[in-house]
Amino acid sequence: MHIEMKGITKYFGAVKALENVNFTINSHEIHGLMGENGAGKSTLMNILGGAIQPTEGEIYINGDLIEKMTISLATENGIRFIHQELNLVNDLKVYENLYLGEELTNKIGILDKKQMIENSKDVLEKLKLDIDPSMPVSELETSRKQLVEIAKALLFESELIIMDEPTTALTNTEIEILFNIMRKLRDEGISIIFISHKMPELFSICDKYTVLRDGLFIESGNFKDIDEHIATSLLVGDRVIDTEWIKEDKREEVILSARSLTCAGFFNDVSFDLHKGEVLAITGLHGDGRSELSEALFGARHLTSGKIFLKGNELKLTNIGSVMKSGIGMIPRNRKERSIIKDLSVVNNFSVAYFVAKHKKAFINDKKEIKRFNRSRQIIDIKTDDPNNYITSLSGGNQQKVIVSRWLELDSDVYIMDNPTQGIDVGTKFEIYRLINELSQRGKSLIIFSAEFPEIHRIADRCFVMYKGHINAELNRDQLTERNVMYYATGSNTEGINGKIS
Amino acid sequence: MEKFLKNITWENFKKFNTKYSYIVSFVLLLTLATIINPRYFSYRNLSTLALQASIKGIITLGMSLVIIAGLIDLSVGSMVALTSGLGVVVLNQTGNVWIMLAFCAAFGTVLGVINGLLVTKGKIAPFIVTLATMSAYRSIIVQLGQGGPFNVDSEILDSFRMIAAGEVFGIPNLAIIFIVITIIISLLMSKTKFGRYVYAVGSNEQAARLTGINVDLVKTLTFTITGLLSGITAFLLASRLTSITAPNAGQSFELDAIAAVAIGGIAMTGGRGVIAGSFLGAIMLQMIEGILIIAKIPPFLNGLVKGVIIIFTVLLQHRSVLKRKKRLKTEATKAAATE
Repeated sequence: MHIEMKGITKYFGAVKALENVNFTINSHEIHGLMGENGAGKSTLMNILGGAIQPTEGEIYINGDLIEKMTISLATENGIRFIHQELNLVNDLKVYENLYLGEELTNKIGILDKKQMIENSKDVLEKLKLDIDPSMPVSELETSRKQLVEIAKALLFESELIIMDEPTTALTNTEIEILFNIMRKLRDEGISIIFISHKMPELFSICDKYTVLRDGLFIESGNFKDIDEHIATSLLVGDRVIDTEWIKEDKREEVILSARSLTCAGFFNDVSFDLHKGEVLAITGLHGDGRSELSEALFGARHLTSGKIFLKGNELKLTNIGSVMKSGIGMIPRNRKERSIIKDLSVVNNFSVAYFVAKHKKAFINDKKEIKRFNRSRQIIDIKTDDPNNYITSLSGGNQQKVIVSRWLELDSDVYIMDNPTQGIDVGTKFEIYRLINELSQRGKSLIIFSAEFPEIHRIADRCFVMYKGHINAELNRDQLTERNVMYYATGSNTEGINGKIS
Repeated sequence: MEKFLKNITWENFKKFNTKYSYIVSFVLLLTLATIINPRYFSYRNLSTLALQASIKGIITLGMSLVIIAGLIDLSVGSMVALTSGLGVVVLNQTGNVWIMLAFCAAFGTVLGVINGLLVTKGKIAPFIVTLATMSAYRSIIVQLGQGGPFNVDSEILDSFRMIAAGEVFGIPNLAIIFIVITIIISLLMSKTKFGRYVYAVGSNEQAARLTGINVDLVKTLTFTITGLLSGITAFLLASRLTSITAPNAGQSFELDAIAAVAIGGIAMTGGRGVIAGSFLGAIMLQMIEGILIIAKIPPFLNGLVKGVIIIFTVLLQHRSVLKRKKRLKTEATKAAATE
């Protein structure tokens, strides 16, 4: 199958996700699609799969222009999409999931279970999977669920398989089996688009590459002509980043120590020290266990093993309220789901954390509450007509400012911020950076979880790069370049990069 | 005065209505009732109304807590029946009203704790838990009474009856008790940390948890308070009826309480609403029952009317929620796209 996408442009409202992107794939080809988070990879593939319509641009299949790509048209043309998230129905059996929406029936419309189970068995055997097709999906481990997802694409005759980060939950052996199947499919003439952040995998399995950056097409070529350093530069580009604050090494007094933190399935044996006044950034790519680590540091996720010490005392992590009282505050990611209490007013949203950790009495005083809120507005200005309005009446940036104030009110020693500038305007972003800097000047220690390099570069004294659930590299201020971050985040330093994974 | 009149605009009314919808509907209903029966708006009539609304009203207060926390309690009627029947036995044995009151309060509390623990520690949906306990509690008291009634002994009957039947300065005791409990619960919900937590849990459980609120404790406590209020209701019901028929006592209290909460403007999805609303909601429900009698609608259709009321008010709530959601969604997509 020969597919050509020409001049694809996509706007989401006023935001440009893709601009004039070209993409070509032939049969007998495994094509690696590369780009940082938010580069536009998924948008491009969703357009190819018919899930979203491009604002401009054309798609040709074997030379024929497709007027309007839809999901069913893509399926008809043999395009199969293996999504990054698992799309399996837990309560159904394996074979029922494999055939979901495309069930085989006999002449009078009754499900042909026997045939479906038979076919499922074949495809699972092909994947060297010891899974009974009649088993409920809920009984499978995550990695096997991902393999079932892959089996779904193999079950039907397909011409092109799109794999969006299919290996995130797989073990090395499973990845090897997957790669062998991919090679076999390629030799049979099938095209595969492989999206991954992991350099060793890309170099080992893909023939060609295409790089996207900030919604733009950067380059296509053969993997055999480049090495991982060139690939990293392509991903990152030559962005110039200015620094506003002079950062110094502040490694004197240890405030918080993590020792061998492990959370099965997410991260392993993570240890580090956080110093007084230090801003520590932790970064990586999707599926590196970073988000789970941020939750665990706050007692919001149960650790399989490991200990955390705050000023030399072991932290009891069983209850978030007591972690807060010990002196740790946390601004979670995904404001709408994890921070905003939509039915409460601005001022009530502001004071929740204070009531939990600082307010000893059972009764609350509205006047004092407003007073505290107005005082905090001197630190971060929140634009609101009336603090008694619902918080949802504010803009995203102002909502986030309320949440930040909520935690500053605790005057904690350590602040954990998970993606604190997610979905807010540039102005507010910079206010938050300024605030982070001020906090560290005042001797507060901060751990910032972020995937945005410019942000990290602006605020961090030190940076950890995570890869597959462990700290792959510790970068000091002078080693903190986007190239370095990407190099370690993609695991380019691990696993035989120049050879195959075997 | 001129300024005041100027401020009476349709826009301002809409604003007032979104916040105080229960007051607007109360005034409307009162007007309607007065039109149907000009003598409706009399002191005697209103105090009777308060008296009639009191018993279910106290249950309604508990139900509002549970619903604001994003939960539901279907077992209130059965808790009342069980506690009430056993309370009569305690009264007959001891002859002491105070011991009976203490027993009812304590026993109701325990029943509430059981509901709460099953929901939080057992991780079972509140609908399922309280549906099961509704059936279980009722069955226990029917078995204990062998289907028959629990009668208060004749020697204490008269003094016991006066608790519910008595008056102070012409105001029925029951109405006073209802008002006092309303004030207490209202203060609990608006002036204490616990109240704030209940709203937070009902509005966004995950955010509440990540802000350090002990979500399980808050949920258990709302069920516990509802249990306690059911216990007090059981005591008052026994005093009012002096004979508790196990299969009928407290029958369909859960339906009435949910209907009153809905009319009172409390969001069925949790997180929003005030206790003053459910107070008026309970009274309005009683008024509607009265109007149905005046309008000669057969009493068998009471259930139909209440069912329609619940669906109708929730539909109205949905409409305003949908408007809000639409706005939030456009904001969210903008935010997601800029990321």
